[in-house]
Amino acid sequence: MTYSTKFSRLIPAFILIVIFALLPKVARPYTMISLGSIFMYVVLTVSWALFSAPTHYISLASAAFFGLGIYAAAILGQKLPLPLFIFFGGFISFLLALLVGLSSLRLRGMYFTIFTFGLSELIRNFVQWWEVNETGTVGRWVIQVNPKMVYYAMLSIVLLTLGAAYFINRSKFGLAIRGIGESEEAADHIGINVNASKIIIFAVGTFFMGAAGATMATRWTYIDPSIAFNPLYSFMPVLMAIFGGMNQIFGQVLGATVLTLLADMLLTKFPYYYMLLYGIVLIIVILFLPGGLVGLKDKIMLWFKRKRQGYETT
Amino acid sequence: MDLSFFLDILIGGLIMGGLYALIAVGLSLQYGVARVLNVSHGEFIMLGAFATYSLYSLIGLNPILSLVVSGPAVFLIGFFIHNTLFKRLRKLSPSIEAFEGSSLLASFGLLFIIQNIALLFYGPDIRGYTYLDNMVDFFGSINAANRLVALLAAVVIGLVFYLFLFRARLGKAIRAAAQDVTTAQLMGVNIYWVLGLCFGLGALLAGLAGSLTSMMFEITPFMGLPYTIIAIIAVVLGGLGNILGSLIGGLILGLIGNIVMYIHPGLSLIAYYLIFLLLLLIKPTGILGK
Amino acid sequence: MNDKVKYSRLTACIALLVFLVGIPMASFAQTKDKIRFGTAIALSGPYAPGAKMTQTTVYDMWVSDVNAKGGIYLKSIDKRLPVELITYDDKSDVGTSVKLVEKLILEDKVDMVLAPWGTAANVAVGSIVNKYEYPFVLISCSSEKLREMIHTMPYCVAILNQPRDQGHDLVELLKEFGIKKVAIIYVADLHGIEFAGYTAPQLGIDGIEVSILKSYPLGVKDLSPILKQIKAAKVDALIGFSYPPDTWLITEQAKVLQLNPKVVYLSVGVAHPPYKYKFGAQTIEGVMGPGAWSLKTPYPGVRDFAERYTKRYNSEPDWWGGIITYSALQVYQQAIEKVGSLDHKKIANVFQTETFPTMMGPVKFVDGFNIQFPGNIGQWQKGNFEVIMPKDKRTAAPEFPKPPWPK
Repeated sequence: MTYSTKFSRLIPAFILIVIFALLPKVARPYTMISLGSIFMYVVLTVSWALFSAPTHYISLASAAFFGLGIYAAAILGQKLPLPLFIFFGGFISFLLALLVGLSSLRLRGMYFTIFTFGLSELIRNFVQWWEVNETGTVGRWVIQVNPKMVYYAMLSIVLLTLGAAYFINRSKFGLAIRGIGESEEAADHIGINVNASKIIIFAVGTFFMGAAGATMATRWTYIDPSIAFNPLYSFMPVLMAIFGGMNQIFGQVLGATVLTLLADMLLTKFPYYYMLLYGIVLIIVILFLPGGLVGLKDKIMLWFKRKRQGYETT
Repeated sequence: MDLSFFLDILIGGLIMGGLYALIAVGLSLQYGVARVLNVSHGEFIMLGAFATYSLYSLIGLNPILSLVVSGPAVFLIGFFIHNTLFKRLRKLSPSIEAFEGSSLLASFGLLFIIQNIALLFYGPDIRGYTYLDNMVDFFGSINAANRLVALLAAVVIGLVFYLFLFRARLGKAIRAAAQDVTTAQLMGVNIYWVLGLCFGLGALLAGLAGSLTSMMFEITPFMGLPYTIIAIIAVVLGGLGNILGSLIGGLILGLIGNIVMYIHPGLSLIAYYLIFLLLLLIKPTGILGK
Repeated sequence: MNDKVKYSRLTACIALLVFLVGIPMASFAQTKDKIRFGTAIALSGPYAPGAKMTQTTVYDMWVSDVNAKGGIYLKSIDKRLPVELITYDDKSDVGTSVKLVEKLILEDKVDMVLAPWGTAANVAVGSIVNKYEYPFVLISCSSEKLREMIHTMPYCVAILNQPRDQGHDLVELLKEFGIKKVAIIYVADLHGIEFAGYTAPQLGIDGIEVSILKSYPLGVKDLSPILKQIKAAKVDALIGFSYPPDTWLITEQAKVLQLNPKVVYLSVGVAHPPYKYKFGAQTIEGVMGPGAWSLKTPYPGVRDFAERYTKRYNSEPDWWGGIITYSALQVYQQAIEKVGSLDHKKIANVFQTETFPTMMGPVKFVDGFNIQFPGNIGQWQKGNFEVIMPKDKRTAAPEFPKPPWPK
């Protein structure tokens, strides 16, 4: 790989970063809000896929980590500045993830998946119980933060997440993770510490989920356990990754972006039919592009190729 | 502690357990054989509930009799959906794993579609009817007649289903397909017909369970998802691919839920999930799983 | 990764971006020809049933009513402008409510925002619209906690009766009946905690024994264990701070168990017509619940509203929130007319200072909360939900003791 190739690879990324950074100056105010939601789902999807895509262990615990971040913001938001409580949101999630990872080591496949779901629901019910009995309250207020700051915070988290995913992917660690995904036994034989690797990459992903939660909480201003630990935040990243193309970062980002935009558009244009239309889109895409939206590019290129070659070859 | 207290816990647990067992077995057929993790399972429950409600309100049809209508109706819907959507997906998928992923996405799509259709048709209003809400005294244990009837119905359905699976030729074909799809195919079983049948039967059980719940609980277009979750937990608890395991899983969930309610209602949900997680940790492949 | 792929991806991203940023919205400089109201409310999801009954249907009816008269008169332009309502579905998700309300304000440029359904959503949306300095009436919001925060939300006022108002009247009612021993069960959620948290201690202070005080989780499917305990405890009154599914469950299971205390008070759902439609007037005879208004409520337009609502929606209105929602809309209209324009600051000021003659009586906000209600507690009597507390608002004498559940 030559020096120039390395650089030219990153140029599109730099251009995009600059565009997003300058956006608040030119775009309509609601765009920042809309992008905030997109960033949130991109973070959730990519950080979920960090662990679940290569290892094929589908985790349904994302809501627990996202929700913890939200609570970090609610509890610490008055006392700490924004970057700090966002960091804490991520850090607490990271710690919980280590515990979750350790406890679920024996489980495989769908058993692992439903175990993580059960864990997420346990945490939600526990926080609800705690709030009801120990704190005497159910909802909490979160401090309000300047929308521009929220935007930049989410943008930073997105960049960190994508950066982490990109570099882990290309590192030896990433190789080891993919090896584990192919065959845990073989990876173990080669000398990879399978358990430690799984737990670490799982926890790294959840850091970003927690940070995203802490940031978004400031937008919503009032939260309670059902809002914070909504199982939707566990299901949607899975849907979005499959929809966009689970095995590439670009697919994950695409899935999150397209589905969020689609939901937004349908919600406002077709308030009474949006679920129907959304469901139809999901089914049509998966019927014609079983590998996800990333397959669309290939299909289009194939179509162009056929056109160029003319109809003689058909 | 006298007999009536034990009976209270047992019967109460069996009533919910019976319902959960029905929906768990239904999902197990769909996942274990047809390999579709059908997250829209609960929506078929909802359809069954609405069917019974509509028949009862419009023509006064006895809810128990309506089982004869709601079951087959939902079966046909399930069969049709499988042999159009999932059959196509299966043919397109390069591997069974890819199929599981794409069918999961497709069943989410179904969830949204079915729910929206019900919403458009019935509106979001909360509905219910009363049927047999009288007291039945069984050795000191007091239960509602409609709940006991639901339990009885669940048992009967379960028995019929068992006989079908183990005695009827079609049932044997299903069990063969559950064991090994390829071999069954080689042995001359029309595989897509059997898979469709399984999926449809799964939907049938959901629809019947829905009809039964409509006697006891409120009906809305959004009632399905909590049941789907219970079904998934029960299937996993019992051991994937094992139909008997799913039945046991459902019964256990119902019983645990009830016992925990007696001991400390405030903590019941926490205890419920905690017990589930512990059971999984003790036996990571489910109770009857390999 | 070759260049073609790389640049096609870049193009895709930039296209997405242009779509987001660009297309300046079709904001032709229009002359103001209507007043835009906007709401993000639960049209789907678990809150949808309540939202439809208490708010969405009333919103739509009010819009037709106002437009039938030509709209709202604005003195500043000497014109009567029709009202338009934009309704978005927030999927019973507070995060979505907040986002959609910001869309209504920033993109759809609505003049006023109407409340969503549920305490959490009302509070969250209230904070947001306050930030954008929109006057706002919180409707289906019942929370004493809000009293701590409302001073930070000067553009917001809350119109519904609160746990304090209804809890107080409940205790007074029990004292009036000479109740000595009660059982309280409550759903382990905001509503249950706040009501139980107010009522239980207050009963203790007034010398009434709370022999059972238990919470149960959301979505519970079987309350017969607790109810059997309550039956054995032979209490005078069964009080349940419940949500509609549990209200139904408690009713059915108490009936099966023939648990017949002298007073049965359940919470959310009692005043809702589906309760009567499911159980029938005979079964629910004597059951009490929060509310309340009836056809006899002595303010202009009440009977007319009830009749028109029933005809239009094929169901009786919500006997707790129905006219409260309508009155909130009347408050918006009267404030706009008083100010003569859509100036948000002035309207918010009017909210805080004026008294509004509405269907639920003269609405006056003190420290952000309405202080006058057509009723706090109602009771089903012969198929009608009569107001029985406060005493001076009674539309019928309370039925005490409650007749036993039919067998």
